[in-house]
Amino acid sequence: MSRLSSTDAPAAPAVDELRQGVLARMQASLGDALAGSHLIPGDDLWMRVRADAWVAAGEFVRDQLGCDYFCFLSAIDWMPSPYGKGEDDPTEPPPERSTETVPGYAGGDTRMQVFARVYSTKQRFGLTLKADVADDAPHIASWTPVYAGANWHEREAWEMFGITFDGHPNLTHIYLPGDFEGHPLRKDFPLLARMVKPWPGIVDVEPMPGGEETGEAE
Amino acid sequence: MGLIERGRLPKPLTTLFNLGRSYSMWVYQWGLACCAIEMGAAFGSPRYDVMRLGVIPLPASPRQADLVVISGTVTDKMAPSIRRLWEQMPEPKYVISMGSCANCGGPYWDSYSVTKGVDQIIPVDVYVPGCPPRPEALLEGIVLLQERIKTEDMARKWRGEDGFGPAPRGEPIVVD
Repeated sequence: MSRLSSTDAPAAPAVDELRQGVLARMQASLGDALAGSHLIPGDDLWMRVRADAWVAAGEFVRDQLGCDYFCFLSAIDWMPSPYGKGEDDPTEPPPERSTETVPGYAGGDTRMQVFARVYSTKQRFGLTLKADVADDAPHIASWTPVYAGANWHEREAWEMFGITFDGHPNLTHIYLPGDFEGHPLRKDFPLLARMVKPWPGIVDVEPMPGGEETGEAE
Repeated sequence: MGLIERGRLPKPLTTLFNLGRSYSMWVYQWGLACCAIEMGAAFGSPRYDVMRLGVIPLPASPRQADLVVISGTVTDKMAPSIRRLWEQMPEPKYVISMGSCANCGGPYWDSYSVTKGVDQIIPVDVYVPGCPPRPEALLEGIVLLQERIKTEDMARKWRGEDGFGPAPRGEPIVVD
């Protein structure tokens, strides 16, 4: 746990035996399938595994590392949004944007990643597992047999990102209406309302009380 | 009540019926988001004491309700349930749309999943703006609705001239 609220807390140790031990055991168990990792001593641990070792990694952290609490499972689309923040003037030509995909902690080779957070209530540490999924027809094995709580999380990731979870018992819509088309949390899903009318909060059209009536933000 | 069935009603009787209807409003609470908490505070707390206005916020089912308060964010997934709720209510029935989300989508105006106003699904009689509205605003909406009910000509309604169901029911009231 990072100590955000206290400034005089003791500095994080340079060597984190607990998390480094966890990482070493993971490395020994998975071998090549551990594709990347990121460790902040005294704070947190990220590990990226190959998609074909996703279930094996889940079973290992549950059975061998004692991570008995499943926090959540979700996905990330690392592609920069082609629409920016939806704050462009629709009458102007769209501005140039970087299309370079920058992965997060523990790296990544693909546009989308599935990630999950688990926690050990005995030893009091958490870790984040990530896996790359293929860009076209993304799919990965389901964690439902590992953590039963992953069931609804995977249904959400399926409808929001279009990632198929192989072996899931009931991969159906959970939040969206059954006839919804598209995957709204993908970065290339356009918010049509903002295509027509950009977010009106870009410019503060109401002047501050007592300020000059310029109609522009400061 | 043969007079009513023939669509005729003496004026004093109309006044009496309308008085009775307006001061025994069984309100179904359809809370969908944070406005539901505000609605609970306005309807359930002794501070505002809605029962003094003749509002009974405790019907066991929409089939016993005269008025429904749609309070909160209406999503496309919830929309069919709201339509069904409204269809189960007996005429004459009234709808209050409480809060910015139910009025027009509010802060979720650009969302992929939010219905931009419950009036796309059911006819709304009173719009109460605010995010969330003050309890006083909600009570004001009910008082304005009661004033409208008191001047309604039920015989015209029964004859179908004022329209039941989704037909036009007069200009909606906006609390301001």
